[in-house]
Amino acid sequence: MDYCQNTISDEEKEILQEIMNIAFGKAAADLAEVINIFVVLSVPYIEMLMAHDLPVYIKSQVSEYGRVSIVEQNFWGEFKGSAFLVFQSSAGRELISLFGDGSGDFGSESIDALEKETLMEVGNILIGACVGKLSELLGDAVTYSPPRVVTENTPNDAIPVNIFESGSSAIVLKTVFCFNERNVHGFLFLVTSHDSILWLKKSLAAFMEQYE
Amino acid sequence: MTLNELTQIFDTVNFGLVVLDRDIKIQYWNRWMAMHSGIPSDQIVGEALFDFFPHLSTPSFNKNCKAVLSFGNFAFFSQKLHSFLFPFKPDSSFGYRFELMQQSCTMGPLRSDDNLISGLFLIVQDVTELATYEQKLIEMNTKDALTGIYNRRFLESRLSDECERHRRHSRHLSLIMIDIDFFKKVNDTYGHQCGDMVLQAVASKIVSVIRKTDFIARYGGEEFCCLLPETSAENAEVVAENLRMSIEEMTNSFESHSIKVTISLGISCFVTEDSPETLLKKADEALYQAKHSGRNRFVRLSPV
Amino acid sequence: MIKKILLIDDSPISRRIMKSCIPKDRGYELYEAGDGLAGLETYKDVRPDVTFMDLTMPVMDGAEATGKIKEFHPEAVVIVCTADIQIKSITNVLGLGALMVMKKPPSKETIEDALAKAEAHIG
Repeated sequence: MDYCQNTISDEEKEILQEIMNIAFGKAAADLAEVINIFVVLSVPYIEMLMAHDLPVYIKSQVSEYGRVSIVEQNFWGEFKGSAFLVFQSSAGRELISLFGDGSGDFGSESIDALEKETLMEVGNILIGACVGKLSELLGDAVTYSPPRVVTENTPNDAIPVNIFESGSSAIVLKTVFCFNERNVHGFLFLVTSHDSILWLKKSLAAFMEQYE
Repeated sequence: MTLNELTQIFDTVNFGLVVLDRDIKIQYWNRWMAMHSGIPSDQIVGEALFDFFPHLSTPSFNKNCKAVLSFGNFAFFSQKLHSFLFPFKPDSSFGYRFELMQQSCTMGPLRSDDNLISGLFLIVQDVTELATYEQKLIEMNTKDALTGIYNRRFLESRLSDECERHRRHSRHLSLIMIDIDFFKKVNDTYGHQCGDMVLQAVASKIVSVIRKTDFIARYGGEEFCCLLPETSAENAEVVAENLRMSIEEMTNSFESHSIKVTISLGISCFVTEDSPETLLKKADEALYQAKHSGRNRFVRLSPV
Repeated sequence: MIKKILLIDDSPISRRIMKSCIPKDRGYELYEAGDGLAGLETYKDVRPDVTFMDLTMPVMDGAEATGKIKEFHPEAVVIVCTADIQIKSITNVLGLGALMVMKKPPSKETIEDALAKAEAHIG
């Protein structure tokens, strides 16, 4: 396979960066406006990696967190991949007070189950907002799998090693988010497999065409 | 495929399908929904969902609708957290422990030709059978088959949770270890069937004496362990005496025999240095003393 | 009368998009800078009639640069063009003296509209 087809150029990286910037800006604004979730999203970074280096990469990014909770969700359309939302494991408790209905109607469910469900709901919305706006700007509409929550001692145990064929490349989009009111922060990683790269290159070109 | 063909499929599938517009008014209500709700499609289409199901208008449900309508994400309403969205009778009552159908629901966006989100769909899946199996599995894993009270494994995991919680909030926590006196004699005299009957009778008597918030488990052969959250040493002694008395007063009849048993009890109370193991050990020591000072009594070791 | 336009944005792509949206038949002179501090220096050198300012930038962010430019030249016309369109950020830069805030990505229409507003403001 032609190597150039399988990787993105510096210029394409810049374009993607700008599109993500716009997408995440919209996501944050809509989250605040539509559902009163106030979240700050940092300028996103883009990294090209080999798929099998992914767990190590993510671990190195969140090393100061210690015990982590990870929300994982897959998305597919033309743009397909996995989203990982990495929180410090104490975040669940904080988020309950931020997002709970206050109804307290969880029957016999323990606080752990409640934390997990809250992480799942927050993760679902945050990932949905970011991925949704991004794919919208790229002219795609994606479908999502139900989110999954893993709480582990180290990020190493929580990131599935084999999400993509080993030997394949992956594009990692990284952003830091922060819920101001509660000082809860974490990382969002969007990982897209090389299957999406050809489509991505086309969409980036199409996006810039509007401005030629 | 024509719309007519698609509609035929939607009306045959074995799950609920609802289409809502941006104002949460019902646009489509498949036959499954009509069948289980008793509301025919022509009566509900065009109406507001919340007019028919006002309990759905919660902040969380509304938040999810708004998110799906603005981001096009999917929202998942798990049976674990929500039990159900629509209050329907279960399909068949055979073997089910739920009064209402357990549901797992998915909400997603619908887009018009220009890719704008024009509404949303809701898929309702009946997971009652699955939830029943899950409940049975959990029960098998946590309960003692003979007496129906908790098993030792459950008690030990609960004990470490409770120790952690009580340490954090520095609250009282007591534990009573209970042993049936001369149980071997019952078995030897009247046979194991009778012994099993006595175990069941003692277990259900204990359940009737303690509070709903307490935990009772079968700990060994004729040994029970009772965990009392939010209970001081003095109150634990009251509970122990009540237990001792109620068992002493109880008469069990087996075939033509009437059998009476007594119990010995050892109480321990949580202090911050305690681990689940030391708490159990202290109760065991107290029980040993109760046995050796004459049985049919409780002992609480005073703190060193 | 607008003659000189300064674009301050750290993303070359973003500047390229911006330039493509600015009418080419009016003889505008375009200047560019890649961060807030460089933008401030260029502003002092060039004295543009209109400055388009991004917010999230390295070295000196757009909010600070807007404040510094208005300090240096209170009549400066700064139009913030950003992806960060949360109410808090918008009120912040308007308070610092930005004429208006427009959201990214710009289009020929929104740029035209912003230039008309700037023109009206200069009078």
